Amino acid sequence: MTETDGLIAGVLLLFALFLYTFWPENSFASQKQKTRLDYLLERKEQLYENLRDLNFEYRAGKYPEEDFVSQRGLLEHETAELLAEIDHLQQV
Amino acid sequence: MATFGSFCLLIALVLAAYNLFAGAVALRLIATAEPGTGKRLLGKQRYWFILAGLLGLFTAWIGTHVLERIRARISPERLADTARRAGIAGFVAITGAAFALIWSVFTNDFSITYILEHSNRALPIPYKFAALWSGQEGSLLLWAWLLGTYGFVLRLTHKTDVKLYAYAGTILSGIQVFFLAVLVFAAPPFALLPGYVAGGAIPADGNGLNPLLQYPEMVIHPPMLYLGYVGFSVPFAFALGALMMRYPGEKWIKITRVWTMVTWLFLTCGIFLGMHWAYAVLGWGGYWGWDPVENASFMPWLTGTAFLHSVMMQERKGMMKSWNVWLIFSTFLLTMLGTLLTRAGLVSSVHAFAQSSIGTWFVVFMGIVLTVCIFTYILQRGHLKTEHHMESLVSRESSFLFNNLVLLTACFVILWGTLFPIISEYVQGTKVTVGAPFYNRVAVPIGLFLVFLTGVGPLLPWRATSFKAIKRNFVLPVIALWATVIVCLAVGVRPWKDGSLDSGSFYAVVAFAVAAAVLTAIIAEFLRGAGVISRQTNRNLFAATWLLTRRNTRRYGGYIVHIGVVVVVIGLAGSAFNRSIESEMGLHSTMQIGPYTLEQVGATQDSNPNYDSDYAMLNVYKESRRAKTLEFEGFQSYVIPIFRIVPLQMTPEKRVYLASQQPQTMVAIHSLPEWDLYVVYEGMNPDTDQPIIKAILNPLVGWIWFGLVVIVFGTFVALVPSLSPATASLRVPAAKAAPMTPALKGGD
Amino acid sequence: MGAPARFTFWTRAAEAAVLAVAICFSLGAATPASRMNTLSHQLMCQCGCAQLLGECDHVGCPDRDKELSELTTDMAAGLTDQQIMDAFVAKYGATVLAAPTTKGFDLVAWVAPFAVFAAALLGTILLIRRWGGLGGKPLEGATATAESSDPADRERLERIRRDTGANDGF
Repeated sequence: MTETDGLIAGVLLLFALFLYTFWPENSFASQKQKTRLDYLLERKEQLYENLRDLNFEYRAGKYPEEDFVSQRGLLEHETAELLAEIDHLQQV
Repeated sequence: MATFGSFCLLIALVLAAYNLFAGAVALRLIATAEPGTGKRLLGKQRYWFILAGLLGLFTAWIGTHVLERIRARISPERLADTARRAGIAGFVAITGAAFALIWSVFTNDFSITYILEHSNRALPIPYKFAALWSGQEGSLLLWAWLLGTYGFVLRLTHKTDVKLYAYAGTILSGIQVFFLAVLVFAAPPFALLPGYVAGGAIPADGNGLNPLLQYPEMVIHPPMLYLGYVGFSVPFAFALGALMMRYPGEKWIKITRVWTMVTWLFLTCGIFLGMHWAYAVLGWGGYWGWDPVENASFMPWLTGTAFLHSVMMQERKGMMKSWNVWLIFSTFLLTMLGTLLTRAGLVSSVHAFAQSSIGTWFVVFMGIVLTVCIFTYILQRGHLKTEHHMESLVSRESSFLFNNLVLLTACFVILWGTLFPIISEYVQGTKVTVGAPFYNRVAVPIGLFLVFLTGVGPLLPWRATSFKAIKRNFVLPVIALWATVIVCLAVGVRPWKDGSLDSGSFYAVVAFAVAAAVLTAIIAEFLRGAGVISRQTNRNLFAATWLLTRRNTRRYGGYIVHIGVVVVVIGLAGSAFNRSIESEMGLHSTMQIGPYTLEQVGATQDSNPNYDSDYAMLNVYKESRRAKTLEFEGFQSYVIPIFRIVPLQMTPEKRVYLASQQPQTMVAIHSLPEWDLYVVYEGMNPDTDQPIIKAILNPLVGWIWFGLVVIVFGTFVALVPSLSPATASLRVPAAKAAPMTPALKGGD
Repeated sequence: MGAPARFTFWTRAAEAAVLAVAICFSLGAATPASRMNTLSHQLMCQCGCAQLLGECDHVGCPDRDKELSELTTDMAAGLTDQQIMDAFVAKYGATVLAAPTTKGFDLVAWVAPFAVFAAALLGTILLIRRWGGLGGKPLEGATATAESSDPADRERLERIRRDTGANDGF
């Protein structure tokens, strides 16, 4: 490949890439604004995970009864508050 | 092709710069247009412009007025999408450049200085690819190309979260601009020979590839390591982007997790392949010499591992946000430091394959990155406010804290040891050496403590428990620990020798004991979980373990990785019992090492176009019988490997590569689970014309490589998505069969 | 359980740790047989291979044999380890030692890692204490939902239990 061939190939590539980059097209993905509800649903999923894990670990014998009850109470309380807000937002 | 390559690099630079610029402008516009946030951010606008100025952008000059005009003409989303496409186009351009370099290597275009210096006509084909990373310019191109590849995948999958990906893509393009700028202005890979004119005479042959690199693993190790180094740019970009955009929630961690784990895996494989290469090629019988460049690859591994752990705290409990952000920032900066150390010759090392004065570029870039990080952190630290709460010292949370503490201390020790010669020269005017004895004394205890934690961590549940509740989980591991100590002493390992302590065997015994305890603990942990599932679903223990793992691939995959680490540690501890012997061997003379007798049955020479070699043939006897080995014969139906048993003959070799006139040892290794018999042809005694052979018996080395296999397997398990409760109820009939005995899913 | 039991456990753990560290650092001198091996692993080969003298592996190394024979001579002359090291430093400079000495500024090299570890350990423990990990008060509201009389609350609690496996998992 001579220097000229290289230059021509380079210019062709430049042209193609330029076209690709600036090709007018309106179907680009745009960001849907994340709502409070989305965020709460993510949180809920995480809290559910934590609760499932807590239950599992309890059955695997890692928590004494009283620790388990208080931890579960805490997590359930937090989740219930979250669910209340989710219910409220979904009704609106 | 040189012209084409240079042109491609230039295009790529322009596109990356456009990506950075348009992306930054568009994201700025989107951010200021958001209702509610605009006003608050407007006051900080000028800080952003100072930041942009630091980045060397035009943004400071453009200012709000121009931004408004752009907004009037084009929607920011549209602009952001052109930025994204510029990134994709940039990948194509860099691929063109990489292709041009490979093409030039294969067509022996010695008019290009880089090709002349790193290749020759007789070089075997796989090693021609290795030319891409044997020198500085090539390896920088590889860096840029890999970064382009990661960015390409990232930009294609942007629909997961358009805005976050736009931020990450823009940050990646900033890194890309740096590498391409270095390639275009400071280290051009396509530079022609000085004084060369088109069509003029070119040298007949190149100077050849460094013989140290002419080994199969050298075709895999550098790209793997680079994949690991470069890969950390992605989680870094996500973390920085999430912080810049004040990403609500912790979902970005979930998005980034796969990237981080894959990167971590590449880095791990890269490091281990490097160890294996050092073991099989450098010929000193070891695999880790605490060389500055080895250290440089190990440091981001340590901080990256710390990040993988502590980020779980953030995901589950929203804790340690600032800490995690800084962990990933440091990891990225350490990968940069690693590249700098390898490439700029700041410290002396066996890796001096590719050095020059691009150090300044790296230092400046690292300075810019650090500034951006600090700046973003200070601006957005309000977003990282967390309510920390910890229920108990006996909890998974605190074990992660200790894990981070130890990993970071280890990282500090290595950084300290690597930089101490420079510090010492600055403070007291004399350079000192910080070699293996230093690290062995300081890092080994820390490493053992870390191994201890890999076993304790999995035993502790999240939140709180009392020591009493889990005390019985420690019973078996402690028994295993002491049993191992007793067995070690019984088979004749003596930590005390002649009235004083032998630190090597002492640490080895401790390592074996802790390893046994940790293995027991992790296996028991698997069984405990499987027991719960087995009770609930009436499956046998094996099926239950399988289901358990699938339900929480991340956790149990992680435990498998821990098992792999323990196996590696067992292998490392074996080095305390290395034995070696060196002697000149005439025909039919013998040498004794451990249970083996080596008999020299011939020493001869050979040559081919690439190298000349001297080698010795040694028959190996074990307890007066000929030792046997498996020899690979070929593949049956192209798939099933066939081996046959043959008498063991070892042929250590010494090569002299013709193009570079450099010597190279080729070690003969007979690898068994209990030890490696490692034989080196050290050279020819010029007075007697007899070969000098060194034989080393390295116990347990094979475990290290096997441990890597386990680590890789565990990481793959962790990468598979877990069964979710929704899919499981559809796919696991047992849930229907036993509705009253629910199975549970463990979290992380 | 109770405080005394825990106290003994931690005291014992601390004793064991101190003992282990003490053992690690009270490594005595080696026997004459292995002395050569030990010393050659504390010195660097000067040929530029960046390897330990005892591990330098290339035949024809210009410096290895010379250094090893000097080491043998010094040992035969009855010099102490310290004198041998000093002689090497005098001849080749401080970089001949594979690790920094424990005198003067070099001591910083050894102290810093342990100082950092100790500081970080202290920091972590203080952090855990601040976050309530060392017997802080439990969070309030633990049983608030469970005891709530609001039917909506009770319904939610049931939903949570159903979904997370307290009553039905997956």
